[in-house]
Amino acid sequence: MQKKRVKKVQSSGRKAKKRRSILGYLFSLLLKLSILGVVFCAVLLVYVDGQVREKFEGKRWELPAKVYARPLEIFVGQSLSQDHLRKELNQLGYRVVSSANGPGTAEFASSRVRVFTRGFVFPDEIEPSRKLLIDFSQGQIQRIVDETSQQPVALVRLEPSLIGGIYPRSNEDRHLIRLQDSPPFLQEALLVVEDREFYDHFGISPKGMIRAAVVNARAGRFVQGGSTLTQQLIKNFYLTSDRTLSRKLLELPMALAMDFRYEKDEILEAYLNEVYLGQSGVRAIHGFGLASQFYFGRPISELELHQVALLVALVKGPSFYDPRRNPERAKARRDLVINLLADHNYISVEERNLAIAEPLGVRESRRMQSGNFPAYMDLVKRQLLKEYRDEDLSTEGLLIFTALDPVSQMHADAAMSEMLADLQKRHGERAGELEGAMVVTDPRTGEVLAMVGGKDTRFEGFNRALDARRAVGSLIKPAIYLAAIEQGYTLASVLSDTPVELRLPNGDIWSPQNFDRQSHGDVLLITALARSFNQSAVNLGLEIGLSRVIDVLKRLGVERNIQALPSLMLGAQEMTPLEMAEVYQTFAADGFRMPLRSIRMVTTADGQELSRYPFQLRQQVAAEPTYLIRYAMQEVGKTGTARSAYQKLPADLNFAGKTGTSNDQRDSWFAGFTGSRLAVVWVGRDDNRPLPFTSTGGALPIWTEFMHQERSEPLVSRRPANISLQWIDESSGRLSDPICEGSRQLPFIQGTEPRASVDCGQFVPALQPTPSESDEGGWFRNIFR
Amino acid sequence: MDTGKLMVVIAGGLLLTGCATSNPFSNIPVEDRSTVRSGQPSQPVQVPEAPSGVIVTPMDPGLGVRPLEAEPIFREQRAVLPPADEVWQPSSPPADEAWRPAMPPADEVWQPSSPTTQSPASQPGSVDNAAVVALLDTARQETSQGDLRAAQTRLERAQRIAPREPEVYFQLADVKRQLGQFMDAEQVALRGVDVASGQSAQLRRLWALVSQIRSEAGDLAGANDAREEASRH
Repeated sequence: MQKKRVKKVQSSGRKAKKRRSILGYLFSLLLKLSILGVVFCAVLLVYVDGQVREKFEGKRWELPAKVYARPLEIFVGQSLSQDHLRKELNQLGYRVVSSANGPGTAEFASSRVRVFTRGFVFPDEIEPSRKLLIDFSQGQIQRIVDETSQQPVALVRLEPSLIGGIYPRSNEDRHLIRLQDSPPFLQEALLVVEDREFYDHFGISPKGMIRAAVVNARAGRFVQGGSTLTQQLIKNFYLTSDRTLSRKLLELPMALAMDFRYEKDEILEAYLNEVYLGQSGVRAIHGFGLASQFYFGRPISELELHQVALLVALVKGPSFYDPRRNPERAKARRDLVINLLADHNYISVEERNLAIAEPLGVRESRRMQSGNFPAYMDLVKRQLLKEYRDEDLSTEGLLIFTALDPVSQMHADAAMSEMLADLQKRHGERAGELEGAMVVTDPRTGEVLAMVGGKDTRFEGFNRALDARRAVGSLIKPAIYLAAIEQGYTLASVLSDTPVELRLPNGDIWSPQNFDRQSHGDVLLITALARSFNQSAVNLGLEIGLSRVIDVLKRLGVERNIQALPSLMLGAQEMTPLEMAEVYQTFAADGFRMPLRSIRMVTTADGQELSRYPFQLRQQVAAEPTYLIRYAMQEVGKTGTARSAYQKLPADLNFAGKTGTSNDQRDSWFAGFTGSRLAVVWVGRDDNRPLPFTSTGGALPIWTEFMHQERSEPLVSRRPANISLQWIDESSGRLSDPICEGSRQLPFIQGTEPRASVDCGQFVPALQPTPSESDEGGWFRNIFR
Repeated sequence: MDTGKLMVVIAGGLLLTGCATSNPFSNIPVEDRSTVRSGQPSQPVQVPEAPSGVIVTPMDPGLGVRPLEAEPIFREQRAVLPPADEVWQPSSPPADEAWRPAMPPADEVWQPSSPTTQSPASQPGSVDNAAVVALLDTARQETSQGDLRAAQTRLERAQRIAPREPEVYFQLADVKRQLGQFMDAEQVALRGVDVASGQSAQLRRLWALVSQIRSEAGDLAGANDAREEASRH
């Protein structure tokens, strides 16, 4: 370079030379320049080719991990209401029509539902798209018939609902589609509007550029672009990076290189997946596959003509023609696309008229998913980040199958927001800024079905279900009573609910009060738990010892360090709602600890299993003590602090649970379970100030409303073989008899039954013959058996 | 009250007071059950040595035992018998249908429940849910073909559909056994025992499986216990 420049300077310096030699110089200069140009072009081509290939092959797109909810299983004999199915289908974006005739449609009649499923490639097997007729009767599914094969079907799975993604830093999102998945008219419309000579040109279209220049010059402003689809694709490839002049200059050679190297269809497919079509918050919507979900909430293959036309219309300017913000503009441009299709004879005049008569029909929400599950997604992400690298999650297109139940989540969200709003209204200023959190599991499998992280259930923020460590209050008590039962106490053991004073290590005197500020004297263990007396709990806890209570808590599932302080007995220990769910899950699962799971399986984009989270459990408490403590926790609902729940819930639900109110009423908890659902609810304030209500006034109504909406199944406790039932005198805890006043029935581990009995004359055979008792030999035997 | 009766009460009372006020250094005069192996044959629980009438009422962190209440407590008789409490055992455990809330007949109250009074044994594998039958059948095929992972996935699906079906736990435990996950296998089988409560045939098979798992894991004593438990059903 340097040398040449020197020569050039010399040549211009010698003005006395002849013309011929100037020409000669010019010629040789031209030659040299052209050689230089060829070399430069070659280098450029290699560079450009490399760029194009890098984008096109290798890792062409960063694909966010897709997170799916659990698929709904539908089977004969299932308790599933039509309403539940409707909610599920709605969540999946099915259209309810008068005649279900394509995938993604459903038809509801009084006792039957016709569903044309979309099918889904599950990691374990392919669920085909099927047209099903489902017969309902008395809230149950009676029959499922595949209408195509006319065969009865025992079990089908709907496709799982996509609940979120794990996005790369670029915040790009897309659903890849293949060219053959594209709906009718998409390719035609795209070509007719954007690049009519696509299949004929070689990457760039000089004709098109000239035409555009002429049109623009005549109009005096920019009305038409001369870019081919290939050029647009290149522009889109670099859309998120800086758009420098060099990039701009590189566009032409890159288009040529791309056209040279790849098939037209490959380029078109890449275009369909790359083009920028909208914005969802910080997230850029790329490609027609995702845009179809974003604007219409359904897969691209199910789009109709007018919808396809709208997406093609948006290519020119997703913001300018945004159908949500500028519907008129969008409609005009969409109709232009439809008219172009008609002008080029792709559609008939009737088809055109019908399509133009259609409204835009765009989903209102700008959020990608029809549901929004920030708290649950948070749980899933934390679990994933323990095992996967961030960039693998956000770029490899992994498929994450979770246990989230969208309908349960909907119910949990609704119960939380409605009841909190209600509380806020009822208590006004005094309530302050109420917040809440909730964890829902299936007690039989240990799967987390739903999670609420705060009052605004759609807000991605502080996740109280995972991160709010709060004093658990009386939620601790079942652990104390379980420890006592393991030490030989029975539900009829008489506890002393009397004032207790403790000198703390720092010299303070601690004297816990009952909620009603009264001491209740001698009370049965079951009553003390059901009515949540504090003094008896503290007395009992001190009697059996802190270490045993802590041991029980650890076995039940608490993993954090527990402070061995007497105030533990009243739940001064701080824990999160999720931790309490772990503990109560063990009660609900008959003493088997099941680590709570949110993820079922992680696979690669093409369905290869990477990790699974199998069903695991460990028996931590024997069946008999668990049975007794569950019985006492059922008493909480029947006669104890949670009895108001039965105003809304069916009497046969038999739920087991415990209210919890922490010191000074800063936290309102309820943890409880039925046969099919476990839920832990917390209500409190982020600034940890006292609340104007207790557990019964705050968390319990939310829990109750949730269980009501879920129509959860009754709790059935199987009585272990060596549990016997005895009639007990309610105030003394002695044996009694059905005919004696003040008697009730309680279960006992065989051998722990009381031996003394009250006397109401039940042993005198003449008065009241009780055949099964008379042969046991009266109260002598009862005492000294 | 005649003197004979009174003598017996006093003698008994003295005897038992001796037991109750035993060791001033241990405030819990009961056997520690926490070391009882969970899921073991439920051996009759040792009766705490606290005698009748003695009420453990801890007043402070020390030991507090009330004097023996020797006096009998009298109650009035009821005019109408109360209904039995809903401590209810399904006669044939439902697979997944809503349970029928039914009051047990009054005389059942006096019958200590024992495995022999439970429902007639259901045949192993007699599952009434067609969906679960299909899943179990396919899982069985996959297991026999050695595709244990696939079988596991399918059985967990079956468990979600019918979480109270013992056969699901039986097969899942067996798959985990073949995968060499003995600890998990044993626990799943024990959970099956829990779920199968009252179904003798299933209990027999499940305990036999527990025995097999334990012996494969090298726990011969535990295997023996489980075999004995199996023979009891």
